[in-house]
Amino acid sequence: MRPQQPQHQQQRQLEAAPNANPDPAQSGEAPPKQVALAMDRLGDAARLIADIRLGADRLLEALFVAAQPHQSTKPLHLFRKEDASMRQHLQDLRSVGRQLEESGVLNESLRSRSNSWGLHMPLVCPDGAVVAYAWKRQLAGQAGASAVDRTRLALKAFTDQKRRFFPHLDDGLDGQSTESALKKHCGPQVLMGNHQEELSDYKTISDVLLHLEKEVPTLKVFTYERLDWLKRASSLPSSANETSIGTSKEHNFHSSNKLRPGSLSPVATEKISVIELLFPSIFRAIVSLHPAGSIDPDSVAFFSPDEGGSYIHSRGFSVYHVFRRITEHAAMALQYFLGSRAETALHSLLHWICSYQTLFTKVCSKCGRLLLMDRKSALLLPPVYRPYRQFSALKISSTQPNSSAKDTSSDLAQAYHVGCFSEEA
Amino acid sequence: MTLKWVLHWQPNAGSTVNSQILSEVSQCVESINGVKEGRWRATLTFYKPHTREQSMAVDFPRDFLGISLPEQPNKYYFIIRGQRIVLEADSSIQTLMEKLQSYKTRVALHFDGFQYQLGDFQLRVGKVVPTHSENLRGIVMEVEYLPISSVEKARQIMEEFLDIWQEAVSKRSLPGHFMHMEPNFAEYGLADHYTSQHTAVQYATVMAQLIATVQAVQSVRN
Repeated sequence: MRPQQPQHQQQRQLEAAPNANPDPAQSGEAPPKQVALAMDRLGDAARLIADIRLGADRLLEALFVAAQPHQSTKPLHLFRKEDASMRQHLQDLRSVGRQLEESGVLNESLRSRSNSWGLHMPLVCPDGAVVAYAWKRQLAGQAGASAVDRTRLALKAFTDQKRRFFPHLDDGLDGQSTESALKKHCGPQVLMGNHQEELSDYKTISDVLLHLEKEVPTLKVFTYERLDWLKRASSLPSSANETSIGTSKEHNFHSSNKLRPGSLSPVATEKISVIELLFPSIFRAIVSLHPAGSIDPDSVAFFSPDEGGSYIHSRGFSVYHVFRRITEHAAMALQYFLGSRAETALHSLLHWICSYQTLFTKVCSKCGRLLLMDRKSALLLPPVYRPYRQFSALKISSTQPNSSAKDTSSDLAQAYHVGCFSEEA
Repeated sequence: MTLKWVLHWQPNAGSTVNSQILSEVSQCVESINGVKEGRWRATLTFYKPHTREQSMAVDFPRDFLGISLPEQPNKYYFIIRGQRIVLEADSSIQTLMEKLQSYKTRVALHFDGFQYQLGDFQLRVGKVVPTHSENLRGIVMEVEYLPISSVEKARQIMEEFLDIWQEAVSKRSLPGHFMHMEPNFAEYGLADHYTSQHTAVQYATVMAQLIATVQAVQSVRN
């Protein structure tokens, strides 16, 4: 019978769906959005089914009227109109059905259940936990579906932060290597004591930096207020920009307070919070002072001299592996300098940074090579470690470049690969 | 611009280059933990002057090259090796050359291959083929050290890398080795800071070397 057909057709459309893709993960849409869409579509489907039922009633009515005698073409007209709108409704229902299939709400296994649309299916997480109401959790904005996931994410976040802001705490995990290093170097402690008195003469930033400029003539030092540095960092030419680096660098120095002997105004010193150390063509190191105007460094980072962008700051990371490694090592050195003698920390740190001017030329003091394949990261790196324990800044001017490896008091002249350093200690 | 050395494959006397060597070299890169990233292609063109009489052609430079590099898609580079001239131009100059018809293409070569990332190093291994042909004429390799741009400062690192590379290649007992010939950049008016013009000059030098090799092989055959 005709009126029954629409209902049958509708069932058949749902069952005989063409090769549905039962992939529940919609690329690029978050689960809460998927649920919202699915709910909308289900609403649409319900309305369409209601329209179809109404249409079926009208068709019945039209047939009934047509069955009456003395009728004009009116019922036929009515019938045709209703037929057209019914077909449209069925078409719409088919497309909604397809959308629901594609989003995974409707699939083979669910069709057997009469009422379920799949939203209450239990979800099995990768770690094996069975979560009964996965959609609900995701609507609530929880990142991990199960307690195990959430714990794992929290632990990872904690470890990352700890490694970043308290790098020296990791030393305890290395165990034997640090203990033996301490034992080996307790001899030159006496020497350190003598030098510390001299170092305490450098009480202000200008003292420290002037001394540095004198000791290391190839170095370019610049100081900035914090916001000025951000502006400069963003305007630094990146290595993709091939225009002559020499001239553009001059232009960018407008906003910097270049430290010149005798011309430093007291106001500027109080606001200095960023020190830039540049060895042209080798590296650029950024040291941040906190509070501004003090001589207390709080973070340091290394970058390629060709890098540019707003990520160039004392807590940023270079895109190059070699500078990333040095930055990690430098964070530990900084903590060491702050821990052993805070008043001379900046002085020691800056001089220690200067020891990296030989980064691409000085061979490893252990293996004698410049490049070595680091086993952990499978990368070729130059010696990125310079020892910082027992580092004495005043010794730089007097030390010969080719001191023997046995002379422990001249550790500052040594460099190690990542792999070579831990064995040495 | 980061520093790059262009190397070419020098086959042993009496042997020629073939695709077997190319695949061995690629495997070698992967054995030192190079990660394949994608393809690259450069095109080099030898020009010859278009003159009414052949005799006039001798007055014009014979080693006039043009090269397009993948890292500078909007530029085209001209080199006259004999007179140590290198010029960077906009890539639209090729259209101009076609309209002028003063210099025509004598031979065009493609450098075609894969790019590998090895930490802060980037390697490119490519075969040298003439256009419209699959004839392998040579193998070139680009070694790039990304953190530095100074030719002098990076020299030691590059030399050590080359040593490591040569060692890895020699383990495969291939009939030949990679060679690096550094052109005198100062003669071309180029500074210590590395640019694509340096790359263009290196390619011109490599081509001269490849041609000399091919000619030597031919003269031995004859």
